[in-house]
Amino acid sequence: MDWFGAEIAAPMVAARAVHFAASAIAAGVLIFRATVLAPAPSPAPQAPSIGSQLRCVIWLALAVSVASGLAWFVLQAGAISGLALSEAIAPDMLRTVLDETQFGHVMLARLLCVIVLAACLGFDGIAMQRLALAAALGFVGAIAWTGHAGATAGSEGVVHLAADVLHLWAAAAWTGGLLALVLLLVAFGRDPEAARFRIVVVRRFSALGLASVGTLLVSGTIHSWILVGSLHMLFVTAYGRLLMAKLALFALMLALAAINRLWLTPRLASPASGRAATMLTNMAAIELLLAIAVFAIVGALGTLHPAAHFLNA
Amino acid sequence: MRRSSLTAIAPLLLVLATGAAQAHAFLDHAEPRVGNKVATPPREVTLWFTQKLEPAFSRITVTNAAGERIDSGKTRVSGSQMSVPLRGGGPGTYHVNWHVLSVDTHTTEGNFTFQVGQ
Repeated sequence: MDWFGAEIAAPMVAARAVHFAASAIAAGVLIFRATVLAPAPSPAPQAPSIGSQLRCVIWLALAVSVASGLAWFVLQAGAISGLALSEAIAPDMLRTVLDETQFGHVMLARLLCVIVLAACLGFDGIAMQRLALAAALGFVGAIAWTGHAGATAGSEGVVHLAADVLHLWAAAAWTGGLLALVLLLVAFGRDPEAARFRIVVVRRFSALGLASVGTLLVSGTIHSWILVGSLHMLFVTAYGRLLMAKLALFALMLALAAINRLWLTPRLASPASGRAATMLTNMAAIELLLAIAVFAIVGALGTLHPAAHFLNA
Repeated sequence: MRRSSLTAIAPLLLVLATGAAQAHAFLDHAEPRVGNKVATPPREVTLWFTQKLEPAFSRITVTNAAGERIDSGKTRVSGSQMSVPLRGGGPGTYHVNWHVLSVDTHTTEGNFTFQVGQ
């Protein structure tokens, strides 16, 4: 398969993309719950089972994440060993990758995070919710150690890792938050009783989104600086062109977010709040689809040689 | 989200305009040096890379002028450095083949030669 002039290993890219998106959604919904829904906006209307809906989403995202994570691990073990997939899935080979590579260690640590997270989800207490959030942040943040940042040497490596962890958290907060917001807005529909609640939730999400976008910009810039190396490389390498496609989608998401924040959010307090709420729901849903498309590109980017590679070659 | 798409991308493009970087495991240098001549057969070949390596999936093989394997088969890896002991292989052109996995799961490989003898 060919994307932007790069030969793409379709199963690997698909497994990675689905895994990143599902992991981000699980963590992002938890971040949304902790920052937007707690403390509960007042007056809280009779929320139609939104809590259990969000919990369902987290469970589903975790299940997809674990399945796609396993697929990624097996495909990666095949790629590492250079063997055909049927030979690579031999227990000895998988065990070697799990025991003796950084990738294996990180995937094992992330599996522990999922187990802790799943165990906490069954409880309602504030301590359990915080532990679940911490496990989710660990689960998503640790992805940084499986990628290019995990192999960057020296102090530049520390900066690269820190930037990647923040990037992953911010991407999760934005994507998972969008999904939670859409579900919440759909659940309340045009209910005028929920108007004030809706305004509080949308404003809080707006703040979360702004923080995420700022973090994504700074951390993404650091990451690109290290992995692309020059403006020229952005245009002449497949990695650079894919990165530009990702930036174009990101810019589209920003434009939608700006419309939501500057035009639709103020109208939530107007007499036409029902219509504004419907439009906001649709726009947020489109934004969410764009975010999923970004994950598809991210799935491919990590499998390519970064543009800066060619400066050394 | 008060930023327009243009202001969002501008800082990225600005920063991208400068800076150099590295990624993935490339051969940085080797001992004996790539393409050089040494008087006597070395006791080992050592390679330094630009990235940290995975010991389980990184190896060096060395053949002498006659095409015989003269490495011990026991590649040692420490961080971004990798070496293998050699048995004496006489004068001539030695071929070094390397295959490494960096910790970000990417494989790279390459080869070079050096000369032994007067």
